[in-house]
Amino acid sequence: MSKHDESRRAFLVGAAVGAVAGAGLKSTDALAQNQARPAADTSHAHANGHGAFFNDEDSATVAAFTERLLPGAPGQPGAREAGVLNYIDLALAGAYSDQQDFYRRGLAALDAYCRASNGKPFAALTAAQQDAVITALEEGKASQFTWPSAQAFFNTVRTHTMEGVFADPVYGGNKDFAGWRLVGFPGAQPLFAPADLQSSNAYGSGSIIGLQARKG
Amino acid sequence: MATEKTDVVIVGVGAAGGILAAELGKAGMKVIGLERGPRFKTKDFDPHDELRYFQRQDLRPNIKRQPVTWRPNASAVASPMPVQNYGNQAGGGTVHYGAVSWRMHEDDFRARSHTLTRYGASAIPGDSSLADWPLSYADLEPFYHRAEYELGVSGKAGNLAGSKINGGNVFEAPRKRDYPLPPLLADQGETLFDAATRKLGYHPFSTPRAILSQPYNGRPGCTYCGFCQAFGCHVGAKSSILVTKLPEADATGNFKLITGAMAYRVNTDNTGKATGVAYYGVDGSDNTIEADIVIVSTFIYDNTRLLLLSKSDKHPNGLANSSGELGKHIMAHMMANVFVGFDDRHLNVYMGPSAQKRTIDDFNADNFDQKDAGFIRGAQISIGTGNLEGGPISFTTIATPPGVRRWGGAYREFLAKYFTRHAAMVAQTENLPYADQTIDLDPTVRDAWGLPAPRVTYDWRRPNERARVEFMQKKMEEIGRTMGASVVWRAPVSPAGAPGAHHEGGTRMGNDPKTSVVNRYGQTWDVPNLFVVGSSTFPTMSGFNPTLTIQALAYMSADAIVNRYRKNPGALL
Repeated sequence: MSKHDESRRAFLVGAAVGAVAGAGLKSTDALAQNQARPAADTSHAHANGHGAFFNDEDSATVAAFTERLLPGAPGQPGAREAGVLNYIDLALAGAYSDQQDFYRRGLAALDAYCRASNGKPFAALTAAQQDAVITALEEGKASQFTWPSAQAFFNTVRTHTMEGVFADPVYGGNKDFAGWRLVGFPGAQPLFAPADLQSSNAYGSGSIIGLQARKG
Repeated sequence: MATEKTDVVIVGVGAAGGILAAELGKAGMKVIGLERGPRFKTKDFDPHDELRYFQRQDLRPNIKRQPVTWRPNASAVASPMPVQNYGNQAGGGTVHYGAVSWRMHEDDFRARSHTLTRYGASAIPGDSSLADWPLSYADLEPFYHRAEYELGVSGKAGNLAGSKINGGNVFEAPRKRDYPLPPLLADQGETLFDAATRKLGYHPFSTPRAILSQPYNGRPGCTYCGFCQAFGCHVGAKSSILVTKLPEADATGNFKLITGAMAYRVNTDNTGKATGVAYYGVDGSDNTIEADIVIVSTFIYDNTRLLLLSKSDKHPNGLANSSGELGKHIMAHMMANVFVGFDDRHLNVYMGPSAQKRTIDDFNADNFDQKDAGFIRGAQISIGTGNLEGGPISFTTIATPPGVRRWGGAYREFLAKYFTRHAAMVAQTENLPYADQTIDLDPTVRDAWGLPAPRVTYDWRRPNERARVEFMQKKMEEIGRTMGASVVWRAPVSPAGAPGAHHEGGTRMGNDPKTSVVNRYGQTWDVPNLFVVGSSTFPTMSGFNPTLTIQALAYMSADAIVNRYRKNPGALL
């Protein structure tokens, strides 16, 4: 067995031992799976699961907004395919619960701005209209916002969108490693060999590894 | 309320405190360490989780429980900083750091006198408190050596007892021995950077890092997993205090670590002598450690805050502050970025130790002529990853090339194309000290224990510092083009603030009790049984990461306490 293989094996043994103690992580996994499964079962239009925090109307807004921030294209997954709505929904019910009011008020201001400027809610606008709205937020030109400011709301949703695309799937986004496939990131690899470091090609050896797979 | 007695109490068991705990314990002194955060094990770091450790900063202080406020100048109102770039657990910042481990240059220890000699008094900005250290490189060399060998640092000598060695840092101060471990393997960004900087006539080398390139002292070598800066090491190859000095301290049988302990006052008696430390326990209890020696070795904010909170009738302006210098002359590295993107090849910079992988030292310290540069003192220029971490979330936080919006279809294309085809250069600048860059107590913001938050007053945008950043960004752009990059772009410099990392100063060391807080051993001039050890004592910061110098100073302080102070308690100078 090469040195490389030895350390990989040592790592995997360590990971297996760790799995027994990882009860907290397991329950999060189960939660993420439960969020995703019913949505997938009913309709692909609702592949972005929600239910932990957002109501149906807000979830439609967030799904549409985040998809414009990182829109999918053929062969290139975007925010919807990655399950960003599910990520943000779970985060607001958990780690980011202190930002619930930020979202509630921000979404209400966004809705008021869209109805005033376009006569329709955000989700009902064309892609070009949605982009114009987002640009107005980014540049601080959208009225109706007090707290959070339009720019703060844009920046936060953008940050959370990127987290939902690129964080480990254990958090409810990056569905089927959509984000990591988009950019060519192999995930939580325990090691790279000297040949990997010396290669000017894309890393191709082995599959993408996420936290759940490592624990499995 | 519990009271314990011990020989030595150490507040903050990180880069400095961990070394002192082990060395004093080995000498037979009973040591109690107070640590605000938890004590982790290597197996706790199994999750390679960028969201948790990079984005949500799981190994850094909680900004809501432990706020630090910032304002650009004394007439502005301070607000809590969104990120705090230091440690919050046993081992301190060495748990999450990139492990870059420098010896400072000889002229770094005499930045003022060296500048006066070479460039004259007019070269020093009139409002800068640029100063020499009260010790020389030669004084510290034996302790640098101990730190490198006892902790485990990988690198290649560039100046072995005066003979210059190609492939090492030819600008380094002379060392008596090579590093204990060979350099870490290079990635593709380093390979291109190496060729380009050689072509330009510079002198690249593998950055010395406290990461094992081979098994050492019973620990395994690095696996190049890439989850490095911001993460704890999942195999213990990073030579953090957690896996080096804390086990040594445990083995002495003389060391006790109390975690979850928030020290809020150094107690003094009516003669002005320190008698111990008061702290809140993890259960909210109010406790006291009585000790013959008190060592304060937290990050710079709390070193100053704790002394200010410990004022008494004998010390009305804060402990060890008869000079009035406590909390002044703080410094922060400005991290100016230039990025390179390639259309014809991959770089995969998410592999390998992620911070400041390969360096040129040609534009650092006084290694280049600054006569007509418009500024003094330089920067370390290195290649690695944006934000010193190479995962995809980190990549979404960096600046985009001109004309590329940070969202939308074009942004998706940018991410898809350049995540594996980019690298980041950073110039880590030696910002000068200024007396009006300070830490004091925030008048309104309080932490979870009801204590006033440390308040930082700092703005990097001084003329000398702006000119240096512009110079370094041009150098990095030149390197990027020489690397053959398809696209080279600079990040806008941060508009204001206390940027980057490695904040230093606040309890300045010196030779004169009237103008400094501590002597070269970290012993406070006012209270001989009170020591402050850490980067808060640095009179100047150099363009180098501070940790190895903090560690060398800790070894020197331990040596002075064990071999001199213990036999004859009192002023060491």
